[in-house]
Amino acid sequence: MLDRNLEKPKMAEVISIVAHQLKTPLSVIKGYLEVLLSEDLGKVNKKQKEYLSDALKNVGRMARIVNYLLDVSRTEEGKFELKLEKVSLEKIVEEIINNFSSWIRASNCRIYLKKPKKIPRVLVDPLKIRQVIENLISNAVKYKRPGEGKVEITLEVKGKNLLFSCRDNGIGIPKEDSKKVFTKFYRSERAMESDPSGTGLGLYINKAIINLAGGKIWFKRNKDSGVTFYFTLPIVKK
Amino acid sequence: MKKNKKQKILMIEDDHFLRKIYREKLTRAGFEFVEATNGIEGVNKVISEKPDLVLLDLILPRKNGFEVLIEIKRNEITKDIPVIILSNLGQASDIKRGLSLGARDYLVKTEVNLSEVVEKVKEWLVKK
Repeated sequence: MLDRNLEKPKMAEVISIVAHQLKTPLSVIKGYLEVLLSEDLGKVNKKQKEYLSDALKNVGRMARIVNYLLDVSRTEEGKFELKLEKVSLEKIVEEIINNFSSWIRASNCRIYLKKPKKIPRVLVDPLKIRQVIENLISNAVKYKRPGEGKVEITLEVKGKNLLFSCRDNGIGIPKEDSKKVFTKFYRSERAMESDPSGTGLGLYINKAIINLAGGKIWFKRNKDSGVTFYFTLPIVKK
Repeated sequence: MKKNKKQKILMIEDDHFLRKIYREKLTRAGFEFVEATNGIEGVNKVISEKPDLVLLDLILPRKNGFEVLIEIKRNEITKDIPVIILSNLGQASDIKRGLSLGARDYLVKTEVNLSEVVEKVKEWLVKK
């Protein structure tokens, strides 16, 4: 007889081992492409450069999937760890907007940041919260409707927490999918059409990270169009 | 004379292809490159080669990178050689352990590019 309780950790363990095994060849391919692109070994023509860059981008994509899989298996095994530090969310958000700015512009999208003058720091893992915010902003940009997209990021103090929100005017999430949004491998039909390369793991991992840091994450369907994602994080006590 | 001598980097890494690409990159950047393919060979080479800096992987045959690091730091002759961990392990506890054992820096392989590693190597050699 199958013991379902035993099956789950085993599966997570397999995912973890396979994901780890993939990391070394990925680092190797990445390194070799970087050396070719740096032209240390000789000039590459425009077309070759374009193809090498495309290959490098896809190695990055694979590395992200591998990291997601590792996060998923750690979540399932209860081994997901956060390195909690005092973090300025404002700084991270501004850095991400800055890093994404040319891609956002190229996607025919505008991004706005609304925040009070003084924002207290929060207790969270800086790398992991960056991953969460990057995921929410890139989703907002990726799943836009035809025409100009608009993304509004807001930071505000709510009692003992800092509230982050990311509002878009994109393709939205169907009402019947509301309960599935934070589940593993969830992707709406529209999302799959809009970006076939997504993994359906981002929001699931976002939830694990925010919950581990003592916060909450949720979303609302906007009245007009698109969705708003929210999360809270505990403010650092002075 | 000493001024012109190339600085020596020891890479302790079991993957042949990674050693090959780092050899390419670091020798081009003007360093002397020596390598070890497992933990025991790594510890021996730190003593025999007296490198200026060690790039250390963690998952290694015969002796893991944490054990190698402990031995480097325990030995009077090698304890001041800066060690940069270059690993696929990226969990908070691994990073904390590596740094607390005396590594100067901790880089996750899939998250850094070759040029960034070379920059870090240069940075720590200046701070040495």
